[in-house]
Amino acid sequence: MSAARKPLEGIRVADFTWVWAGPFCSLQLAHLGAEVVRVESASRTCVTRLLPPWPDGQPGVNRSGYFNQYNQGKRSLTLNLKDPQAMEVARDLIRASDIVVENFAAGVFERMGLGYEACRALRPDIVMISLSGYGAAGSGPESEYVSYGPAQVPLSGFSSLTGYRGWRPMHIGISYGDPTAGLEGAAAVLAALIHRRRTGEGQYIDLSQWESTMALLPEGILSQTMTGEAPERDGNRDPVWAPHAIYRCAGEDRWVSIVTASDEEWRALARAIDPSLAGDARFATAELRKHNEDALDATIGVWCATRSPEEVTTILQATGVAAFTAMNAKDLHDDAHLGSRDYFVELPHPEIGTRRHMGIPYRLHGTPLRVWRAAPCLGQDTDYVLREVLGYADDRIAGLREAGALT
Amino acid sequence: MPGPGNGIDALAGIRVVECGDMVAAPFAAKQLADLGAEVIKIEPLGRGDAARHRGPFAGTVDPERSGLFLYLNTNKHGIAVDLERPEGREILRRLARDADLVIHDVAPARIEACGLDDAALRAENPRLVVTSISPFGLGGPNRDRRMHDLNLWAAGGVASLNGGGPGSEDMPPLKGFGQQAGFQAGLNAAVASLGALYASLGSGEGQLVEVSMQECLTSILEMAYEFYPYMGLTASRLGHKPIQPLDFLECKDGWIFICCVEEHQWQRFVELAGSPEWATMELFENRLTRAANWDALQIFLGEYAAEQTVEELYHAAQARRIPFAPVSTMGDLLGSEHLKSRGFFATVDDGRGGEVVIPGAPYRHSATPWRIRKRAPRLGEDTDRVLAPLGYEPGEIARLRASGVIG
Repeated sequence: MSAARKPLEGIRVADFTWVWAGPFCSLQLAHLGAEVVRVESASRTCVTRLLPPWPDGQPGVNRSGYFNQYNQGKRSLTLNLKDPQAMEVARDLIRASDIVVENFAAGVFERMGLGYEACRALRPDIVMISLSGYGAAGSGPESEYVSYGPAQVPLSGFSSLTGYRGWRPMHIGISYGDPTAGLEGAAAVLAALIHRRRTGEGQYIDLSQWESTMALLPEGILSQTMTGEAPERDGNRDPVWAPHAIYRCAGEDRWVSIVTASDEEWRALARAIDPSLAGDARFATAELRKHNEDALDATIGVWCATRSPEEVTTILQATGVAAFTAMNAKDLHDDAHLGSRDYFVELPHPEIGTRRHMGIPYRLHGTPLRVWRAAPCLGQDTDYVLREVLGYADDRIAGLREAGALT
Repeated sequence: MPGPGNGIDALAGIRVVECGDMVAAPFAAKQLADLGAEVIKIEPLGRGDAARHRGPFAGTVDPERSGLFLYLNTNKHGIAVDLERPEGREILRRLARDADLVIHDVAPARIEACGLDDAALRAENPRLVVTSISPFGLGGPNRDRRMHDLNLWAAGGVASLNGGGPGSEDMPPLKGFGQQAGFQAGLNAAVASLGALYASLGSGEGQLVEVSMQECLTSILEMAYEFYPYMGLTASRLGHKPIQPLDFLECKDGWIFICCVEEHQWQRFVELAGSPEWATMELFENRLTRAANWDALQIFLGEYAAEQTVEELYHAAQARRIPFAPVSTMGDLLGSEHLKSRGFFATVDDGRGGEVVIPGAPYRHSATPWRIRKRAPRLGEDTDRVLAPLGYEPGEIARLRASGVIG
């Protein structure tokens, strides 16, 4: 096996992102070994630095778990981009970078003088991606609309399909469009890097967060295009398989998911609950189980109600039935399986000590990935970037600081 | 800007072998195929990929016209091979010898039996990347547990974050529409595979890439997980929202999502609503009190919304930079002028003489745009064409078909 260089070692990212979608995109690049320099500003602090959770409930721009989760392994450079000298630093950073990532509202970055043409003039083979809510400025009548994470879920069509039967449209629990766009964006950038490696040609990528979520909705969209009707909101149920539900268990707000996708799985489930159930004519075929789903759920629900979700999982998994606890944060934190996989990241941080964070969900066995440092404090790497990356002399750095360009 | 030039695709010439079922590996490989990779999809004989049986269907059930399958398998070649037979594994071995990437979502316990052991495949082709997607990864106590998409959504901690809010203790944790665990795994697998492919272009060395579906989901819990290690709090779907308005309202003709996170957004919305008297009530003086008194505010806002149409309120709010969004129906998306202007939806041949409209990719590369080159394959459609260059003579192909190794 060759020396374990991470795939993107030697690649630098000028990261002009904020909130979640953009930072989640650049997080993937950092995971893969790129040097990601987040350009931040004390006067326009990333929203996630201002949101809880904070240890001991005490706020602070370096204390947010939200920021610290999604900026692991990145560097932080503070620049006051309203200052022309700071803009010159930004341009130098782009000259020294392979990738530019930004997720301002469409057109904003261009108006700052850093659109693709400007970036390409600085670095001809640059790969640049904009992750905007509606796509690049001018690409459609709504392209300059304002986009917030929670509003993306309803806009994308997700909410009209998600919810309990007969209830209003609902959310999905997180600002789902953000991480989805971040991952799509990272894949788009990597494909462009492969193209660049083979041809020397850089390019611009226009990503729409709205569209990134729709790419995950084919069953809804194709229902409309193929049958003329959209599916109705139907809770946790599935159009084909039954049972397909999350059942209440013993304990306070404890739940377990159970699915059978074949007759074989159903028979195993039925035998585990009550041997006579396996012969119950109401549930003999997939079609009948779907037809009699209310009765089916009631029967299974009664059995689950006196057991813990862990007990249900153990009993059913032993017979080959797909069952699993609806995990909450504490369950995940204490989970023996995740713990055994060296998945969690616990690295020292100057202000919050060592806290547990979620790690990298993919393992590259030949070029192992590892988060090298906790998320940066605001401006933690300003001197490093100016001196080591851009080669500025100490007196120039002092002059920039004096002039207020580095805040 | 570089023209969408020369018909060169970003991933042209990259050869991928996919053994995928339902969503995870097929979606990962689709992203690569849409960007130009040559993907050969191996399906089991007879039944094929389970997505062929999921629909949506236009009228009668037809495994060649399942909407989910048609979407997830654009731009791929399809062969039908029984990988549990030695002659079938030999076909896979020969394919992998000339491939850059093998990507699969075969259960860990079956990997070797299906000829997908990464060390054996890489022994004959050192540059090969082998990506394995599985529910819990390739190691750890839960490795061999049986999981369907809903179980993973529960195991990843996403389900427990979504539900009816305060007062809906009896309603279960709620999944998002569709097979979202599979989609998230497919996104992560595309990123990780492209990272490993990029590395192999430089080093000539492939490797094993391991993706845990559970971990993919735990990595997108926004700030919900970190509340536990940072503050000892377990986020719940039953909690109150800390700020409002950030909720669904019913208009004359559908639902809208109203979103006033910042005070200026609220003020502009109050103006838009005609500065009604209730807006001046002390109960609603800031976003925190608007959340604390949401029960009351919701009534006033509901009365206002009931007089509006979704489209008018959406555009009027956005004209004032207020980030409202419609709760888009599938019909709304397909009719959207904005999405039409961006050319988001694509039309593909359905393999039965008709056409079907599918979601496109969410990004536009300026030099190497994604494109549809080919509809999804019929089961075994390309078997003969793919086998011939591997050294199989027509007589041998006929014998393999007659003995049920290929279809």
